[in-house]
Amino acid sequence: MFSIFLKMGWFFKENWQRYTLAIVLLMAGSLLEILPPKIIGMSIDEMYLGTLTGERLIGILIFFTVLAFAIYVITYLWVSRLFGGAYLAERTLRAKLMRHFLRMTPTFFQRNRTGDLMARATNDLKAVSMTTGFGVMTIVETVSFTAMILLTMFVFISWELTLMAILPLPIMAYAINRYGRKIHERFSLAQNAFGALNDQVLESVSGVRVIRAYVQETADQQRFQEMTDDVYRKNIAVARIDSLIQPTVKLLIGISYMIGILYGGYLIFQQKLTLGELVTFNVYLGMLIWPMFELGELINVLQRGNASLDRVNETLGYRADVSDAQETIAVEVPTAICFDRVTFRYPSARGEQLKDVSFTLQRGQTLGIVGRTGSGKTTLLRQLLREYPLGEGRIAISGQPLEKIALDNVKRWIGYVPQEQILFSKTVRENVLFGKREGTQEELQHALQLASFAQDVQRLPDGLETLVGEKGVALSGGQKQRVSIARALMIDPEILILDDAMSAVDGKTEAEMLTSIRQERAGKTTLIATHRMFAVQHADWILVLDEGRIVQEGTHEQLMAQGGWYKEQYERQQAEELLNEGQVKP
Amino acid sequence: MSTGKRLFHIALQFKKTILLALLMLSVAVAAELTGPFLAKKMIDTHIMGIELPWYETAEQPFAVPYQDRWYTRQDHVQEEGGQPGKEVRILQVGRSYYFVDQPISFDGERTATDRELTIIKGSEQAVYPAVKLSVPELFAFFRPETKGLLVLAAFYGGLLVIASVLHYGQKFMLQKAANLVIRKLRIDVFAHIQRLPVTYFDHLPAGKVVARVTNDTEAIRELFANVLASFFTSAIYLVGIFTALFLLDTRLALVCLLILPVMFVWIAVYRKFATRFNFVIRTLISDINGMINESIQGIPIIRAFRKEKEAMSEFAELNDNLFAYQNKMLRLNATVSFNLVMLLSNLSFVCFIWYTGWASLTGGNLFTLGVMYAFVDYLTRLFQPIRQIMNQLANFEQARVAAHRVFELLDEPGADVETGSVPRFTGKVSFENVSFAYQKDQDVLKDISFEAMPGETVALVGHTGSGKSSIINLLFRFYEINQGTIRIDGRDISQLPKQHLRQHMAIVLQDPFLFTGTIASNVSLNHPDISRERVEQALHAVGADQLLHTLPKGFDEPVLEKGSTLSAGQRQLISFARALAFDPAILVLDEATASIDTQTESFIQQALEVLKKGRTTFIIAHRLSTIKNADRILVLDRGRIVERGRHEELMELGGKYHQMYQLQQRKSSVASIG
Repeated sequence: MFSIFLKMGWFFKENWQRYTLAIVLLMAGSLLEILPPKIIGMSIDEMYLGTLTGERLIGILIFFTVLAFAIYVITYLWVSRLFGGAYLAERTLRAKLMRHFLRMTPTFFQRNRTGDLMARATNDLKAVSMTTGFGVMTIVETVSFTAMILLTMFVFISWELTLMAILPLPIMAYAINRYGRKIHERFSLAQNAFGALNDQVLESVSGVRVIRAYVQETADQQRFQEMTDDVYRKNIAVARIDSLIQPTVKLLIGISYMIGILYGGYLIFQQKLTLGELVTFNVYLGMLIWPMFELGELINVLQRGNASLDRVNETLGYRADVSDAQETIAVEVPTAICFDRVTFRYPSARGEQLKDVSFTLQRGQTLGIVGRTGSGKTTLLRQLLREYPLGEGRIAISGQPLEKIALDNVKRWIGYVPQEQILFSKTVRENVLFGKREGTQEELQHALQLASFAQDVQRLPDGLETLVGEKGVALSGGQKQRVSIARALMIDPEILILDDAMSAVDGKTEAEMLTSIRQERAGKTTLIATHRMFAVQHADWILVLDEGRIVQEGTHEQLMAQGGWYKEQYERQQAEELLNEGQVKP
Repeated sequence: MSTGKRLFHIALQFKKTILLALLMLSVAVAAELTGPFLAKKMIDTHIMGIELPWYETAEQPFAVPYQDRWYTRQDHVQEEGGQPGKEVRILQVGRSYYFVDQPISFDGERTATDRELTIIKGSEQAVYPAVKLSVPELFAFFRPETKGLLVLAAFYGGLLVIASVLHYGQKFMLQKAANLVIRKLRIDVFAHIQRLPVTYFDHLPAGKVVARVTNDTEAIRELFANVLASFFTSAIYLVGIFTALFLLDTRLALVCLLILPVMFVWIAVYRKFATRFNFVIRTLISDINGMINESIQGIPIIRAFRKEKEAMSEFAELNDNLFAYQNKMLRLNATVSFNLVMLLSNLSFVCFIWYTGWASLTGGNLFTLGVMYAFVDYLTRLFQPIRQIMNQLANFEQARVAAHRVFELLDEPGADVETGSVPRFTGKVSFENVSFAYQKDQDVLKDISFEAMPGETVALVGHTGSGKSSIINLLFRFYEINQGTIRIDGRDISQLPKQHLRQHMAIVLQDPFLFTGTIASNVSLNHPDISRERVEQALHAVGADQLLHTLPKGFDEPVLEKGSTLSAGQRQLISFARALAFDPAILVLDEATASIDTQTESFIQQALEVLKKGRTTFIIAHRLSTIKNADRILVLDRGRIVERGRHEELMELGGKYHQMYQLQQRKSSVASIG
């Protein structure tokens, strides 16, 4: 239960000064708070005993006023320190989570749903932060206060009576411990349900057009209602237990109180206790009610925090399945890319997505990869990005095994245009300059020209400053692809990876882009996966994939001579194009 | 209606639960307050009571035999027992008890020897002969009290159990109410999301919408779980204490009433600042949600371009900003919340001492000592509930602002989701002088008129921004037209509920959206009318079986978030199959086959040829192969239809369509030369 403090040990260690100061001030404040009632009592007594003088009255008033402000300032200080610590913990953990997300590979995001991750970074952190603020305060206050009172009762009144009166405390400890475990368990479930709900909403909002177009509003609402009910049920299950804490504490403290009176009475009969001592004892016992309450609330907060922290740590504890080798070899320039009998499968999939793939690509060459949908083109390209652990076989760049080269080193060479067009909620300019913020206006224009986007920019409402992405204007698929391409070209990469990157661009524009990219990138390596054969006909080497295997390879001429799938597709597509062109010139 | 009122109205829907909880709370509090009285009675009467005067009496109930005589305690002496005899006392000195054979004239500091008991008070001193009592002797004097003691203890125990049960009920009921309110709000908000026009989501990041539905509703929990109970008990206590104050001394009570207006002003000032900070905080939390979502979607790019640091620093900016505002809020709370209550309470005591002390110095004491003590006690108690209220004010304000955000979303105008079905369209679509602008004075479509006959295929051609997608958006009524009429089967679509309109239409988007589930569930969308057989048929028809057979579970292969384990082509195929499974009268393909290889595409084309019968199809495509067979091609330019006709006709016309191809032709040859 208190393990949360251990788990957050690194945080307290980092902020020990803040916490030490806060705790010292908190205790000082509590001590000072004892004074005002004494001063009031003393003043009244003096008034009625007639010992009060004008001077003394002024003295008392000044002292009391100063004291009041002192308590105010001290309280202000510890409150802002201590609860500031709570927010600090929240901020620190959130930054950790985000940093962690940014380090993760696709496998992680396939296992963790975005909505749930969002819930962890907001809702769960709230529960954790409660423990580092309220939790610490309560522990300090209750533990020090309770210990002080118990000690006073034990030493100054009657150890026998004290022992008898605290007999219910072990039961309380046992009960609360049990509740605590239950709360932990149930709160974890509730938070998981909340994460799932978050995800469901995210999906409904992201897929709003599909839901509307297919009239799925009611069905979607039904699904949501089921999940809300699930969250409701699980929170009620938590409430069932956490509502028990206070009554249990009250009941057991009440029993203590009763024992105090009855056994105290017995001790008086036994002439072991004075009447005055019994009264004082019960006053002290009464003073224990409040901290015991707080203790109950504390357990609740701690267990919730603990459950949430476990969820957060579960995420943070996920080790990226791809990381740098212990000793990396620095490679300055990628001269040759060599695949040697590479076999690969995705961690979550059965069967192999690449089988026995071998080829060598020299610096400056272009590799074309064609094949049917799902034949493994993307998988092959992604090997270089190292988003997944490498499979069997060997991939080498400049003669060095890929796994020995630092990830950062490899990525420095790569300009990547994925199938999915991912743009950020920024302006067109910022999106294109994403990989090279310091890029000049000329470089930017040049990249836009190469990607055939320069003309489109003029049609956008605010030109280069048009906001795109989630918050911005809806670009067409082809436009998004071209912005993506411009972004990759902007960094003038050693290795350019185009993964079916022009599918939504019309054929002519594609040809135009390919030509200018080829000229621009003389001496640099390019890998192109595509469905259109003519996009790779100038490639130095073409791989035809089917079910993860290379079924044909060679240059365009060789493949045409060889016959087979490539030739069939090429001719078919050419026929279509010719047909269209033929109609242009009747 | 103000946010507070609306929250109140929602709470009213669960008034039974809440009122029951508050009732239980009141009884529990009453039971709890009785406890100390019982304890006091136990101590005062049954234990301390031994020091009351005792009288020699005849044997009777409560009489105690001591040295062959019977003694009865003052409060137990019975009238019919005859005149009580001689008064004796039993007094405690240290831990021992002494029997004093006579009344004492005053009490004070006691000392005792074996035979004498001395009482000293100030300068007075009295000595009495006394006998020390043995334990059994003393116990005899307590014996009559044990029964009463045990009865009270049992009563106390009973109250304790009742209070505990009621407290449990109260806490649980309030939490239940809180959860009910949250669930209700969530269901309402989500239902409303289905009512909102698609435009609402265009410029609002999904993560932010999610924050309103889940996080903001969650923030209301405290209001019902804790704040309500706190305010309620505090109010009861305040009323009780003021009543007691008025009974004690009207003048003092009136002065204390001043605290109420002070509180109102205080709360108003607090709220002014707190509301502002809370709004910023809630907005930042929703921004953070939005950014986490966007970053996760963008991670392949962020990582490939090694921009983790930049992405992190952008996030840190929001995160730090939130931290800064949380701290502002914290400092506000530390300045004016319970801390200020404490300061005020102390300062009011300063004033009290000043006032009474000054009076005592100049003209004698204003009140009796008893009144003074009682007043101090009440004043201390008065500040307790105020402290409670101020403590919960922060939670209250947070809930109010969160609720405000939820209501804001609920207040967005929307159209009700209609259920029920309409007969299948024959599929005649006509646009009559349709104009449309996303923003005023910026017409995206101008005076568009065309007709599509049932079973026809209409292709839309034009540059990006020429209005192709807008036509589709209008047809689906994702957006509402500004002018003109769109008719399906001769009926104005603006007169139809959107859900009815879309019932017989389907769309395949270039960027297909898949839901978490399986491939089959993504085709059927779990629609009850779509059988497994139809799902498989549809997947066969688009050639997906060949494509997906490598997947271990075939059509039941799980689809992860957004279909991230499938390739773009596979996703398009699935969404194609979805469209076919819904067997629409009007099918819209928005660059639907871009990521599909030619072989598969031709397969789909064949399937479409078969399926086209009785289906009006709209196609937006760049690949001419898909367009050239269209019955009608509409060439759009800057929101106008500039040409229309079959492919051959347009080519012969030699206009814009022709020009477009010429231009592209020239461009590509220029590029290959240069």
